[in-house]
Amino acid sequence: MKKLNVSSSPHVRSRLTTGSVMYDVVLALMPATFFGVYHFGFHALLIILMSVFSAVATEFVFDYIAHRPNTVKDGSAVVTGLLLALCLSPTVPLYIPFLGSLFAILVVKSLFGGLGQNFMNPALAGRCFLLISFGAVMTDFGVDGLSSATPLAVLSTGGSVNVIDMFLGFTTGAIGISCAALLLGGIYLLATGGITWQIPVSYLGSFAVAVSLLGPVGFNVRYLAAQFCGGGLMLGALFMATDPVTSPITAGGHIAYGIFIGLLTAIFRVYGTATDSVSYAIILGNILVPLIDRISIPKPFGLGDNAKKPKPTIPKAAAILTCITLLAGLALGAVNFMTKDAIEAQNLAANMASYSTVVPGAESFGYDDAITANVKEYSEETYGRGMYGKVYINEVVVGQDASGNTVGYAINVTSADGFDGNVSLSVGFDLQGTIQGISFTELTETPGLGMRADEDEFKGQFTGRNVSKFTLNKAGGSTAQDEIDSISGASTTSGAVVNAVNAAIDFYANYVQ
Amino acid sequence: MRHNTFRGGVHPAAMKELSCNKPITYHRAKGEMVFPLSQHIGKPAVPVVKKNDPVLAGQIIARADGFVSANIISSCSGKVAAIEPRLTSSGLMAPCIVIDNDGEYTMKEGIGVETDCAKLTSAQILEKIQAAGVVGLGGAGFPTHVKLMPKNPDDIDYIIANGAECEPYITCDDRLMQEQPGWVVGGLRVVLQLFPHARAVIAIENNKPQAIESMRKAIANEQRMEVMVLKTKFPQGGERNLVHAVTGRKMASTDLPANLGCIVDNVTTLAAIYHAVCLNEPLMEKGFTVTGDAVAEPGNFLVKIGTSFAEILEAAGGIKGDLKKLIIGGPMMGVAATDLNVPICKAYNALICLSEDPVELAEEQMTACIRCGRCTRVCPVGLTPQAMAVAAEKKDFARYEKIHGLDCLACGSCTYICPAKRPLTQLFKQTKQMILSRRKR
Repeated sequence: MKKLNVSSSPHVRSRLTTGSVMYDVVLALMPATFFGVYHFGFHALLIILMSVFSAVATEFVFDYIAHRPNTVKDGSAVVTGLLLALCLSPTVPLYIPFLGSLFAILVVKSLFGGLGQNFMNPALAGRCFLLISFGAVMTDFGVDGLSSATPLAVLSTGGSVNVIDMFLGFTTGAIGISCAALLLGGIYLLATGGITWQIPVSYLGSFAVAVSLLGPVGFNVRYLAAQFCGGGLMLGALFMATDPVTSPITAGGHIAYGIFIGLLTAIFRVYGTATDSVSYAIILGNILVPLIDRISIPKPFGLGDNAKKPKPTIPKAAAILTCITLLAGLALGAVNFMTKDAIEAQNLAANMASYSTVVPGAESFGYDDAITANVKEYSEETYGRGMYGKVYINEVVVGQDASGNTVGYAINVTSADGFDGNVSLSVGFDLQGTIQGISFTELTETPGLGMRADEDEFKGQFTGRNVSKFTLNKAGGSTAQDEIDSISGASTTSGAVVNAVNAAIDFYANYVQ
Repeated sequence: MRHNTFRGGVHPAAMKELSCNKPITYHRAKGEMVFPLSQHIGKPAVPVVKKNDPVLAGQIIARADGFVSANIISSCSGKVAAIEPRLTSSGLMAPCIVIDNDGEYTMKEGIGVETDCAKLTSAQILEKIQAAGVVGLGGAGFPTHVKLMPKNPDDIDYIIANGAECEPYITCDDRLMQEQPGWVVGGLRVVLQLFPHARAVIAIENNKPQAIESMRKAIANEQRMEVMVLKTKFPQGGERNLVHAVTGRKMASTDLPANLGCIVDNVTTLAAIYHAVCLNEPLMEKGFTVTGDAVAEPGNFLVKIGTSFAEILEAAGGIKGDLKKLIIGGPMMGVAATDLNVPICKAYNALICLSEDPVELAEEQMTACIRCGRCTRVCPVGLTPQAMAVAAEKKDFARYEKIHGLDCLACGSCTYICPAKRPLTQLFKQTKQMILSRRKR
């Protein structure tokens, strides 16, 4: 007789394979991908292709070098590449998706043992890596060279946004911007069993509750709708948090995990910035998964149901998880509050030294309540409606001489448009509005280039001038009162400084004089 | 509360259309007949015949050894050729009585004589069932007389006739209910007589409309019986899931159905009870399906216990085309066979011949676990196979037991659904064996 196959039962298998599960996710992401390319144009397509290519190539090369079985055909690298591309700005240069996917696959996935072994979502980890390494490029969502704020940035400064446009995706943001298209994909996955309802519902639900409780406007349907549609929340809730490898196994675990990241996202959004709240919340949730898995093993069917004295108790696992979630949420909130004050106190001390430099005649500094009220009004949002880029007025102090007469004012401003983060400086004015000098309180630019802003050759140019607005002269050799020579090779830094000083002049003219 | 179903489960392709319209044919084996001494759960039976002894059909050839054991009955007439170890379907040698079948099927006296069961006492009924060697014919092979003697007979309020037949391919219960509903009803009458406070529920999956119709007709005049239609889902016929679907009661792994007031018997077992008690016919034959895409003429048979699989396959026209895999029992919980020259035992109900081996394909497609959690969603007893697999692979037996790994029914649902094609059920069966053998030491 011919040889027969012997195996342990069951002898039939479903059609599902790892590949089919992965390509179902790719299919579900197609509406959002197409919309992104349609809305943002050809460069978005290039970003997507580069990201997917880089992910697949990295996995292929790693498997080849490490003599591991080639796992490219399971499609998980394609999902990672695509997800990473969808949460990138459509304007990023192509090395960004290339590096992001390389990091995601190589460091986060392959080095931890490949498929199923990574403890963080590779796409999100890749995105966080990019955010940390290339902050300025990653948070620039401008289109066609025009700097424009994302809807959530506008919302956080009290502006109003068009929720319908946000829902459909006709706004600025990442490539995977269309909530409608993402929802379509999410519904497909729900219907075909690719994802279950527990994570998206508990995530969005706890997020809504927390934002209503902690947020600036309380419970407000429009505000909530905008929060839901912006900042990659849909992409996160439907496709990132539900990543099977990095989410818990059981339904109970899913709910605890969803609530945890929902709370974190809300805390990060309310007290932090919108660009990265979802990413960091989910990554932190990923780290909790082994713990959740360990304690969320459900009771088997029928166990204890027929015992003589059934005692109604809250399932232990649920109680533990709720406690952990609450504690973690509280701890994060507390840390946020404490460090916020400490950092502010430090900043103030540093600022005091700079105030003395820029208001030479002052013996002591104090606050003017009327001016401070105006500062408060503008401290949380960009000053000047984008005229000076991302500029914030931090503080205005009044300088007084030994006999208590006002001799000048110092205005501390921050521009977030530096080459490598924030540039903060104090501008000193005398009572006529002539600049007495500028002094940096925060400058972390490139040494030898942007850092030269702190040299007198550049910053001395402002002293003694009294103009309504400076312009940056990139060519050098300026003669006019309102022209400032750029630091050669550091026009971004120079521009940020000029913008910051201009904002200070504007504020001085409007609210101090 | 009634549910008609349970949480979890899978929907493998039914494949019942291959044989569900083939009427049961009566098969009389010709060659030598082999009767393993252990065809049931419990102690093996003890031979009461010697080599060269003449035997009649219906004669006891091995007696139950103790209470939890069962008689073995010769299904043919002839003489004892040998009492020796023979290959059985498990792939191992086991002690068997071999009878040289004379092909006459001369019956022992008194077989086929009708008895009015209403005139019998409970003790007499149980004695007849025990003598007839009836065991659970759905697959488990638990001695039926033991099941019918619970500690609390007055608390039994449900007799569940298991006609779910949730395993793919198999159709012999379906055909039995269509063609001989009277046997099932007769068996239920006997059992109801033992449990005066109970009512009978005949539970059938909704993919067998003809069987449902046939059973409904047959019980039209029965006060204490009803037919309940269940959702088609594997493992709907599993005892714990069936009790839940019918009564809403939840059986833990440590519970017996009787603890929850239920007696569950397969419809084929009930037919055997009817034959044993009302017709004085011991268990000699049973319904059997031969099917699969590699069988020339798939069909349903009433087959003599002790017939070899090779012979019944011959009766179904033999193999057609390529043969890659033979399965004894259903594809979800059955055993892969290596050799067909082994006897059909009491609890076997199907032979499936496949030209493709889905497991072979699955082994090619296997990847690392992607933690998708589908195994958890389909587990019919609420376990977490993914976590069990992690513990089992690490040989962390304490953890394995803590997360209730020993509750696993080995139903195969998790392995069926797994996209990464992990051999979960196999791992769980091995781990269970390892843990139990350590305990014994």
